Amino acid sequence: MTKTTRRNFLKGTAAAGTIAAFGGQAPFFKKALGQGKKSVVWGQTEPFTSSWDPSSHTILAQIYFDYDVFGQLIRTPMSQAQPDEIVYEMATSQNVVEDGWLEYTLRKDIKFHRGQPFTAHDVKATFEYASNPERPSGTWYPGQAEVQVVDDYTCRVRGEGGSYPGSLFWFLAGFLPILSKDDIETKAIDEFPNGSGSYKFISRDGPTTILNANPDYILGTPEIEEVVYQFVPDASTRLVSLISGELDIIERVEPEQYETLLEEDVTTSRTVSTENKYLHFRCYEPPFDDVRLRHAAAHAIDRDLILELMGPAGHPTVGQLSSAKFGYTDTIPNSPEYNPERCQELLAEAGYPGGDGLPPIEYLTSQGFYPKTKEYGEVITALLQEQGFPVEFTVMEVASWIERVFVRDETAPQLADTGWMTGSPEPNLVLRPMWHSDGLILTNCGSDTVDAAIEKQQTITDVDARRASIQNELMPALADHLPSFGLFTSVLIHAHHPAIEGIYFLPNGPVDKVKATLTS
Amino acid sequence: MAFVLTFLIRRLAQGVVIVLLVTFLIFTLLRVIPGDPVRIMLGPATTQAVVEARAQELGLRDSIPEQFVRYIAKAVQGDFGESYFIGETGIALTAQNVVGGKGQDTATEQREAKMTRAGVLKVIADGLPYTLMLAGMGLLFTLLMAVPLGIAAGLNQEKWQDRLAFFIGSVFISLPNFWLALVLILLITARAGLLPSIGYKGFGYVILPAIVLAVELAPIIIRGLSMSIAQALQAGYVSGGIVRGLPWRQIIVRHVLRNSSIPMLNLFGVQIGGLLLGGVFVTEFVFDYPGVGRSTVQAVLQRDFPVIQGVAILAASILVLANIMVDLASTFIDRRLKF
Repeated sequence: MTKTTRRNFLKGTAAAGTIAAFGGQAPFFKKALGQGKKSVVWGQTEPFTSSWDPSSHTILAQIYFDYDVFGQLIRTPMSQAQPDEIVYEMATSQNVVEDGWLEYTLRKDIKFHRGQPFTAHDVKATFEYASNPERPSGTWYPGQAEVQVVDDYTCRVRGEGGSYPGSLFWFLAGFLPILSKDDIETKAIDEFPNGSGSYKFISRDGPTTILNANPDYILGTPEIEEVVYQFVPDASTRLVSLISGELDIIERVEPEQYETLLEEDVTTSRTVSTENKYLHFRCYEPPFDDVRLRHAAAHAIDRDLILELMGPAGHPTVGQLSSAKFGYTDTIPNSPEYNPERCQELLAEAGYPGGDGLPPIEYLTSQGFYPKTKEYGEVITALLQEQGFPVEFTVMEVASWIERVFVRDETAPQLADTGWMTGSPEPNLVLRPMWHSDGLILTNCGSDTVDAAIEKQQTITDVDARRASIQNELMPALADHLPSFGLFTSVLIHAHHPAIEGIYFLPNGPVDKVKATLTS
Repeated sequence: MAFVLTFLIRRLAQGVVIVLLVTFLIFTLLRVIPGDPVRIMLGPATTQAVVEARAQELGLRDSIPEQFVRYIAKAVQGDFGESYFIGETGIALTAQNVVGGKGQDTATEQREAKMTRAGVLKVIADGLPYTLMLAGMGLLFTLLMAVPLGIAAGLNQEKWQDRLAFFIGSVFISLPNFWLALVLILLITARAGLLPSIGYKGFGYVILPAIVLAVELAPIIIRGLSMSIAQALQAGYVSGGIVRGLPWRQIIVRHVLRNSSIPMLNLFGVQIGGLLLGGVFVTEFVFDYPGVGRSTVQAVLQRDFPVIQGVAILAASILVLANIMVDLASTFIDRRLKF
């Protein structure tokens, strides 16, 4: 047994002093910031795929990477103040010209990271490659695109054979990473991300991917010299890593974590996203093949209760579009609101007074991907049950849920909730896959009226006229037919080291670091 | 020697059958439970037609026996397939001569990292050293905590040493490993800044995860050791030794501890092996530690079939081999034992 002598006490205090001399940390403790280089570490929530080709996936984490590494003709910041703002990057203008063509004038002084000069031939190769419906990315675009090269720095785009007007790329070109023609032809894009964006790819080692600032970036060299993507799958681990300084920026902060972080020395940010969360109705069989039942269910749901539960992660919505989208309106007179009396009237009209005679209804949700799905799913289940809907609530882990939620036969659940995050203000990214009869990936509630309204706005080349068509015709048509009920708009919560300033969080998740600075 | 050879041949043959059965079970279960890796690979927005085309390309729509035979045929040749998700970056160096001003040549090296899908063996080989280091440190910490407590408790049944060991064991076994991991990260790393813990940038990153593992494993060793020592103390050879006038220390070290070590070895082979594997997986995931465990948990969440299958074969093989070695070691300690 060692006695507490003066000598032992002094030894102990000397050890404590040594630790204090390292700033209260052990010598092998390595902080993310402050290692000489102006570097930030981003806590990545999903891993990248095994291909660098932006058209080979629809994975959110890799879309963030693509945003940094690949240049685009335009950027669409999608701010709440100006959702339809366009910032020109590789193009200097876009104009609707004759025969449905959208003409781009391109910059002459851009080079890809590997040194090839950028020309209209790269734009042609990229548009035609990425919009191919057989590519995974094809789902984002309105169909096979056709590009006419006018000269090396001018080109025109529209649907193949004039199948759709080029104006559909007005915003969408801001969600189309431009590749080199050579890389597409030789398939080299699979192996190396040769973009022309603000950051250059340096290396990938397991969960760590390193990018360096591109000194030739057309919109200015970023001050942050290095960006490290560090895949940290667990949300709690990401949070404590930020607090301990091992990560500098984290995303998908959960509402409870947000409250915790407000008390820490970190900066938090809330961004109203492009993603609305929906309750989708499946219309293969009763009861939701009857529009009155869909409206009855919507009238049973108190969205204020859900918003209260979501706290900082939710933002009110009225219709099907997020307020970050072109065409959003908060005035849709026929959009159903919480009204239990109207719910009961509709149930009785449909032959199910008080819910009597309704078949069992399965409501499917996921746990572990979106915040609080289980919690607000329980609220929705209780509200529906209160009105007489015999709802059974099923919660699945993400991989199982993703498989089941896309089932389109009679085994599909009658109710399912999903979000739909897209990287452009272009509303067709949501409207076509969700509610046009060609898509209907989650509801199968097609309608000629909705189809006609979606197609009509697509053909309008004047921006203001198109906005009016979406707001005054399409949104009311969707509210009437109600294939899906908009619950709320997701709010993206980020947190970062207070030394990082000037960072811009896009409403679909990527982080624009071009104007970011690091203060000491 | 002949016994050892016969023993090894017989047990290894049994082991191969066990590993094959485990592989088939895992292989089938992965394809029966919900969760389509192709949908996860391409992202939720991809059309069903594109998903189906890729699934066909990967052979995932063939019958399970057909897929299994194809897998085993390649596996016996050492080809365990490639991860659906993990990229492998090989560094290719190319020299470029850049002509600078005034006719001066400057040589620069352009590093280009080319990515392909990572082979399963590579994924495992990359993570295994880290996992072994963590498991080794975890076991070391476990033994440092559990052996003194277990021996003291076994030698002093019903006394304070026994009660202390029981109390510590009960507390440790009640702590969920993921919870303990997060608490340690928060207190030791985030608040006190004493030890790092997220990822791996040096040896210091092993300490906290190893402590979590040790806390999980120690109660079993403490309990097993104290029980087997207490039982050994009841044996006739102990009273015989006392009657013959052998020193107490000699009785304990040469006889009691030696005999107590056989059940402990079995405990190591079966329970500790399983617990260590399970514990390492969870611990690595929470600490974002770059071992096989983290890759496996991620593979399960993403339905990365080739990686899960490869790790299942590895884990089954390790457990089979550990058991064979434990049984062999037991026969050396006590020649009367036959397996």
